[in-house]
Amino acid sequence: MRTGIFAGLAFAAVVLDTAFAPEIELFGARPDLMVLVVVYGSLLVGGRAAIVAGFLMGVASDADIPTYLGLNALALSVTGLATERVWNHLVRASLLVQCAVIFAATMLHDVIYYLGYYRNHLDLFGRFIIRYSIPGAIYTAVLGVLIFAVAKLLGAREVSGGTLG
Amino acid sequence: MFALLARLFARNRDLAAFAVCAALSLVLLSLPPSVRNGIGSGVSTVVFGPFRLLATHTASLQGTREENERLRELAVRLAEERSTLLSYRSENERLRELLSFLVSFPEEERFRMLPARVVGMPGSRVVERLELDRGIVDGVKEGMPVVLPEGVVGKIATVMRRRALVEPLTSASSAISVVVERSRVRGVVRPRFGSSSDVLGWHVDYVPARSDVRAGDRIVTSGLGGVYPPGLSVGTVTRVAPGPLTMTVEAELAIDLSTIEQVFILTERTATPHDWSSIEEEVFRRFVPIGPPMEAP
Repeated sequence: MRTGIFAGLAFAAVVLDTAFAPEIELFGARPDLMVLVVVYGSLLVGGRAAIVAGFLMGVASDADIPTYLGLNALALSVTGLATERVWNHLVRASLLVQCAVIFAATMLHDVIYYLGYYRNHLDLFGRFIIRYSIPGAIYTAVLGVLIFAVAKLLGAREVSGGTLG
Repeated sequence: MFALLARLFARNRDLAAFAVCAALSLVLLSLPPSVRNGIGSGVSTVVFGPFRLLATHTASLQGTREENERLRELAVRLAEERSTLLSYRSENERLRELLSFLVSFPEEERFRMLPARVVGMPGSRVVERLELDRGIVDGVKEGMPVVLPEGVVGKIATVMRRRALVEPLTSASSAISVVVERSRVRGVVRPRFGSSSDVLGWHVDYVPARSDVRAGDRIVTSGLGGVYPPGLSVGTVTRVAPGPLTMTVEAELAIDLSTIEQVFILTERTATPHDWSSIEEEVFRRFVPIGPPMEAP
């Protein structure tokens, strides 16, 4: 059941992130919904599911730019593995911790992805990270925590129950 | 080496999943461009095709809605402009009538005509007074006739600095000396009131018995009394009934006083012919509305 919901969320994240991302843009910054799914997937469903979901979401989103097919998949897989490892050492229920993890995960994802994307233009990479990645990571972190808090308020007891430490 | 990896992955399944995913990612990255394009195109069509179609359709609907809103606004604006233009046309026609009336007077009966606008109509069911936007400063005096091309309106009853009140033919105290245009039979037109002070109609009084008056005869001012010049239309005979000494003659007025907007005040007789161009200029200066320029739709 939980895996099914997670798969649905992953699919929704891919569609929203690819087809409707401009609609949720704020001052040029866009939240990375796929990273959110990977981070909370590794927290609530488990690392393996998060890694596989990250890979599949990455392939789907890479389909738009086939020149880099596999790059986003790799970045999201790494992010899934890293967050799974990180959760083991943190207080998972703390919204502040979640916020920090999402921010770090988004930055990790962007660094991997844009290092590959701008491998021949590292000056552009630096500018892109400062101009778009950091604001985007902040946006993602705030949005992620808000969604989590709302979901908790709406009575998603299964989410707030056993899995959180 | 493989055995070591197999043992490691068996102990850590998350790491195994990651290794597989990372390897697949690297394989995808290392594929020839044509193959990558083929895979990308297929995945994109399957995953995003329906949503892109939906997004396009939604955008199209949104565009249609916005265009609909714009067209609605345009329709309202055009309707308003049309209404304004129709009122201008109506006023233009009216002014043409007034001008033709101005030049219709015989030379010896020409008055100076002061165009005036009706700005008030005190009274309830009966038009007792008409308020005009002309007064002493314009040379208006009490007793001056107020007319229209269709006929007599009344005479000036009260004059203020920039306003004047007209005693119209509907007023209870109104009486006007007339002749039947065809037979030159004289009489006096007065309103007849009902019990609730409504004007029931007009009677032509003092018409001798067996006078030659018929229904449909046109009644005009006689010129007697010194207020109205002769020949101005007053109304039409509607019914005639014989009597022992005088006939009962009923009439209807040529003008509906409740709907008039502009009138002429006959200020004084002119010894010299009119300067029609100046009057024309005055009429247009006062009555032709000059509104703000209309926006192009």
